[in-house]
Amino acid sequence: MSNRDKAAERAARAAALRAEQEHRERRRRLFTFGGVALALLVIVAVAVGLQLRAGDVDDTAAVPRGATESYGMSLGEAGADHEVVIYEDFICPACKGFEKSFDAELESAVADGRATVEYRPLNFLTQFGDYSERSANAFAVVLDAAGPEVAKEFHDILYAEQPPETGDHPDDAWLIEKAVEAGATEAQVSDGIVGLEFKGWVDNGVKAATSAGIKGTPTVIVDGEPVSDTELVEVLE
Amino acid sequence: MVWGVKQWVGLLARLVTGAVWIVAGAIKLPDPSGSIRAVRAYELLPESIVPMVGYALPVVEVVLGLCLVLGLLTRVMGVLSALLFVAFIVGISAAWARGLSIDCGCFGGGGQIEDATSKYPWEIARDVGLLLLSVRLAIWPRTRWSLDAVAFPPRAGESSPGSGEGEDWNVESGQGR
Repeated sequence: MSNRDKAAERAARAAALRAEQEHRERRRRLFTFGGVALALLVIVAVAVGLQLRAGDVDDTAAVPRGATESYGMSLGEAGADHEVVIYEDFICPACKGFEKSFDAELESAVADGRATVEYRPLNFLTQFGDYSERSANAFAVVLDAAGPEVAKEFHDILYAEQPPETGDHPDDAWLIEKAVEAGATEAQVSDGIVGLEFKGWVDNGVKAATSAGIKGTPTVIVDGEPVSDTELVEVLE
Repeated sequence: MVWGVKQWVGLLARLVTGAVWIVAGAIKLPDPSGSIRAVRAYELLPESIVPMVGYALPVVEVVLGLCLVLGLLTRVMGVLSALLFVAFIVGISAAWARGLSIDCGCFGGGGQIEDATSKYPWEIARDVGLLLLSVRLAIWPRTRWSLDAVAFPPRAGESSPGSGEGEDWNVESGQGR
């Protein structure tokens, strides 16, 4: 074998070795990439599963006495001509406007037996702090302690004296004061308001309304169909 | 640009976009039903997939943000990040064009609010800026202090200035060197 042949053989061996290394490195990268991608997918899948579970209604939450199955409070006699459901948020200015325009009309419809009205308080506007949640909980506490009539009065006071969305919001002491003004006693409501006794029930109401496709507040539903303000006026006439 | 400087700028792009994703996702995680309402408020997606998007989006945002901050699969994450920003820009623009007044729900919140229109231009400008950073990462995924540099070290001859800086370490080119 000539020197030239030996040199060629050495060069060929070296080239084969380099190719083999290159091949192994490529495989390692592919497996690393695949492994990392798979791990990330598993993490996302598990976390989404946990989110799905967190979105479910919590059956163990305390329910206020006098509440409806659908996380609200109903006024009026069963068997009235129409069933009105109102989804509201205590911090929502449009809800205050709605109450101002329609509360008297709705009250007389309830009194005449023309309609039942169910109020479903919602903690939708979480971006404006916790007033929405605290007031919805306070509404449940008043309902539980003093019944629907007092709760309706409390509801009316909260809308009449609604704080602006942004800025400082009234504290729990103010909510207790308003509950007393509506006809509850301080001893009945103060622990429940301060301790967010029905937070779980309020959360469930939010989840149920979200599952029902409620986009915003106020949403008014008459006999199962969402209605505009003008349609509501026609129904109530 | 000098190769080293470019990698430092890449690191900055990773940290900025990654931090935004982590914050945006983490705020939404504790309130899944709020996230669903935020998605629903855009009135773009069919109702059948709105809840799933609402549940999944915050999770994807947090994972995407962590990967960007760590520099893990930077090119893939840059592409995903860019696609999401395009989707958000389209969503906000569509809401604006149709006269919807909604909270973008970018950092929690969401749903119908009053006087949202004044915020749309700023939200879109912010997302365009983050989109550009994401595109940059998709084009030049090699950055300083990244896990990618450990898991997928530059091949021989690749680390020199100019060569292979945009090379995709994810797709095997099959070319010997």
